[in-house]
Amino acid sequence: MSWNGGFGRFEILTAERRLQVDGKPVALGSRAFDLLTALAARRDRLVTKDELLDVVWPGLVVEENNLQVQISALRKILGAQTIATVPGRGYQFTAAAAPAATRGSPAAAGSPAGSPAAAAPPASPTRASAPQHARGTERSDAVASRSSRLLVADDNKVNRLLLTRSLELMGHEVASADNGRTALEKLRSERFDLLLLDLEMPEVDGFDLLEKRAADPALRELPVIVTSSLEGVAQIARCIELGADDYLHKPVNPVLLKARVDSSLERKHLRDRQRELIDRLAPGRRDLSEGLAAPGAAPGAQTAEVTLLVAQLRDVDALAASQSAHDTLELLNNWTTLMMDAVEERGGRVNRIAGDGICAVFGAPHLVPADGGAPWAAVRAAQEMFELVAVFNTERAAAGKAPIDLSVGIASGEVLAGYAGTTRRAAYVCVGAPMRRAMLLEAAATQRGSSLLIDGATRAAVSGRVATESAEVPGLPVDTAIATAYAIRVR
Amino acid sequence: MSQTVIDPHIFDELQATAGADFVVELVDTFAAEAPALLADMRHAFADGAAERFRRAAHTLKSNGSTFGATRMAEMARTLELGGLPPNVNGVDALAHEFETTLAALQRLARA
Repeated sequence: MSWNGGFGRFEILTAERRLQVDGKPVALGSRAFDLLTALAARRDRLVTKDELLDVVWPGLVVEENNLQVQISALRKILGAQTIATVPGRGYQFTAAAAPAATRGSPAAAGSPAGSPAAAAPPASPTRASAPQHARGTERSDAVASRSSRLLVADDNKVNRLLLTRSLELMGHEVASADNGRTALEKLRSERFDLLLLDLEMPEVDGFDLLEKRAADPALRELPVIVTSSLEGVAQIARCIELGADDYLHKPVNPVLLKARVDSSLERKHLRDRQRELIDRLAPGRRDLSEGLAAPGAAPGAQTAEVTLLVAQLRDVDALAASQSAHDTLELLNNWTTLMMDAVEERGGRVNRIAGDGICAVFGAPHLVPADGGAPWAAVRAAQEMFELVAVFNTERAAAGKAPIDLSVGIASGEVLAGYAGTTRRAAYVCVGAPMRRAMLLEAAATQRGSSLLIDGATRAAVSGRVATESAEVPGLPVDTAIATAYAIRVR
Repeated sequence: MSQTVIDPHIFDELQATAGADFVVELVDTFAAEAPALLADMRHAFADGAAERFRRAAHTLKSNGSTFGATRMAEMARTLELGGLPPNVNGVDALAHEFETTLAALQRLARA
């Protein structure tokens, strides 16, 4: 079936098998295109790797790594946040669909079978007339009116239904709650871009909710527009003091509603873009500004049992000498993307990127939920790095390019972990013997030609899961069990 | 006359922006919700529960304003801001105005 999908900056034109970003066509491989359409068509849910493999490589037995390489290629084009990895489960497409009227093609409203009808403004049960509001979206600019997820909290059913309807006609996906407690539960369990909040509600009223939002780092940046028919400036002032973005008096004027909602969403999307950039350019930095209070995070400086992984792309100088600076930079970007994917897939956190090298930590600041703990997660991430590079090399060979190789060192133990630096620039660091061992092991792996070296502490933790053989590494004391080096075969 | 009970400009704009069919549903919702709010005002009066009384009046005021029922909204507003009244005359008058308002709304919505 042919369908088109607009998602803010980019648009998928399935009939022409073409992707447009910022209105310009972008070159995309056939597999990557199939993968993108498969994810976009299932954007209402998480999609397992098996399902994607079946769709993109039907009838073929294909390694998961091929999938990851294609995912990485798409992320490079569309932004890292567009496809979220749910560790151990699969992927979810996160881009919000633009309303049909903002798309380039009139066929845009036709969603694929089984996908949500987010492309078109959702219909109400009985709709015969075409209200002005819907027609008004034709004049909207694509950025301000892209589809977002909104929550309406209002105990007054007439107001709740009307507000929900008005927002749906703007092309947004809208959920509602009839009291503050339910609204808070929804906010904490689902993703929303904007909250429209009534003040007078049973159980938890609007003021209480604003206070709870302000105290919750996960909700603090969610924009809120208060809608109320309470009288008096004092109420409005209190809402603004509690962090509400805007205030609309009821009955809500539809023109004002659209202007305020667009404005709040525009700011929200800009902030999201900034976060995405910060995550790309300074991994870990965002946690600092958010006070490290994300669920599962251990706040502040701490001593922690972690596993550290240091990966290095080999022979960069030789590669750089054999190709243009542009090609080398693109290679480094591709390599880093693959390495980060491997780490994040296993619940680790890349805390340093050095162009041709990365450092990742497993076990802090977030605990690694996977079976086997941080050491096994790190070893699996390393194995995946080599598998991804093997697939990547196949693509390079097809393009007549030289293969690349990498070295990895892994060490486990107690480190001092936390944010270090200045008020202007800081990074999440792990200081201690395991960090030095991981770096030493990586350097030794490069020298020895054995690609993955782990220390004794890591080996003890992954014993029985993977075969290891002892390896002598100069600089590591051979008389302590922890510091002894072991090699893991990766090819 | 509907015109005196419902502000035609407000009601027309509501239909234009939300859709005429949707406004029929909205009026039905109002018809289902308002009697309970009026009953709540009476109970709150009997219990001496000023805050409950005020909140029910507030909701009726808000709904009246939404549909352009300005007279009903104003009556509800007076009760909302006036504290617990000495008798239920105001509530009786509001209930009567609601009946008139609802009849007018139903006529206009299905016109």
